Amino acid sequence: MNVTRLLMLPVVVLAISCDRNATPDTTFQQSNELSAQAPVPTSGAVGESQPAQAPPAPRTEKKAAPATPVADQARATGVNADAAVLQDFKSRIDAYMTLRKAAVKGAPALKETTDPTKIKAAQDAMATEIRAARANAKHGDIFTSEITAKFRRLLSPELKGDDGRDAKAIIKDDAPTNIPFKVNAKYPEGASVPTVPANLLISLPTLPEPLQYRIIEKHLVLVDEDADVILDYALNVIR
Amino acid sequence: MRRLLFIAVLIAGLTPQLASQELRLPNKDGSVKFGVLGDTGTGGSDQVAVAKELATWRTRFKFDFVVMMGDNLYGGEKARDFQKKFEIPYKALLDGGVKFYAALGNHDDAAIQRNYKPFNMNGERYYSFKPQNGVRFFALDSNYVDEKQLGWLDKELAASGSEWKIMFFHHPLYSSGETHGSADLQRGLLEPVFMKYGVNLVLAGHEHFYERIKPQKGIAYFTLGSSAKLRRGDLQKSALTAYGNDTDYTFILMEIVGDELYFQTINQKGTTIDAGSVRRVGKVEPTTTRTAQPVVPQAKPSPAQPGPRQEKK
Repeated sequence: MNVTRLLMLPVVVLAISCDRNATPDTTFQQSNELSAQAPVPTSGAVGESQPAQAPPAPRTEKKAAPATPVADQARATGVNADAAVLQDFKSRIDAYMTLRKAAVKGAPALKETTDPTKIKAAQDAMATEIRAARANAKHGDIFTSEITAKFRRLLSPELKGDDGRDAKAIIKDDAPTNIPFKVNAKYPEGASVPTVPANLLISLPTLPEPLQYRIIEKHLVLVDEDADVILDYALNVIR
Repeated sequence: MRRLLFIAVLIAGLTPQLASQELRLPNKDGSVKFGVLGDTGTGGSDQVAVAKELATWRTRFKFDFVVMMGDNLYGGEKARDFQKKFEIPYKALLDGGVKFYAALGNHDDAAIQRNYKPFNMNGERYYSFKPQNGVRFFALDSNYVDEKQLGWLDKELAASGSEWKIMFFHHPLYSSGETHGSADLQRGLLEPVFMKYGVNLVLAGHEHFYERIKPQKGIAYFTLGSSAKLRRGDLQKSALTAYGNDTDYTFILMEIVGDELYFQTINQKGTTIDAGSVRRVGKVEPTTTRTAQPVVPQAKPSPAQPGPRQEKK
């Protein structure tokens, strides 16, 4: 490491730290490999062009959660805030499904064949259309900071006790490596598909097919399984 | 005299070998005959050896289909991978009209494999098929047991009038494996459904060995994830284990005749390592500790089913 980079490091870490103060739900304890690729989450959506500049240091989480738009609106109108956040998630998933339906209209459908090349070609064509249709999609479009925080709360009880230990063991078992934490990226071919612990899966909102949750290390990834496209990710949901 | 002695010694030496190569299944006309493979997709010499042996046994035991426990293709899933890891090893069986029914493992690309016609998944992650009246197989995706799949399973089982309800999927709900062990979380969700609707037999893979589990709550469990990969020394035989082997590459032949299900587990050299049967005892009121259609191991194996190989002391 040269002198300039050494001098820059505290500045970058400070900048990231300040940025994170907006989202006390997010505590970074991720590996360097991941942090080098993963964007820094903030209270709003963060563009893909804002990768973390340095491995962020763990920090102490603030106790009070910040005011958040959907929850605030719900409270103001007397609606259950948690239900409103989950409804917001559902709306975002529905919006994706609508966009997807229109996008893949022209692509060849995935259908049974004896030729895997044709399946792969259909999958790739579908992925191309989906990426084009959501070219401006960015991290946090689906997993907003509110939704991420809600998911952490949903999963938290399931990560305790014997079931929690089992769940964490399953996540580590045959865990895939080199999964890009990048919106619209391809889930790598040949990478193992991590088993999602059943107790965690059942605690999360059910997704319409072909969407699936995947848990990579401590992070939740939303995948369009037919197209093998990563739609969004939520960092540090497993604690 | 010397010649006679030589022949006697030769016969004595060959007898156990020949006995271990015997077909120990009833092989009756009209019965449901099938093979079981697990964790096959390496494309390596061990997969090929097991596949070859399975094809050889089919000359004596004409099974119509094979169920696959997942991890059907390790690594890449391009056309050449399907050839190397499936089409070439099982060519003799595929050419002979044997159908393969796959379940998904944690190394499988679901979108590709469920649309690969020779896997007969009808484009679905989970599905069922009925090879004959009275017998229905259910392939589950144990990687992703969500509410939708559980709802489907509940509905399918409720609608099924089959006496034999056979599940196959990747993760073993009961296992004595050191690396993985029992899939407790999946079991917590699946077992109550199995018991409610009288599932009799569950086949799984994932563990790279063979283990026959003592019936649990009236359900027979087999784990077979050693049709191409082996994790020697990983099987820590436990109170669950009726018989286990983590030194041989294996496949199972099964046959359903009325209320009996016969099994014969064979290694890559064609040697039988385990055999026996379980009997379905009919419908009973399900309880928290017993399924609605329990099975019991055959109390005294008949001469045709002499039971597992005796362990050397």
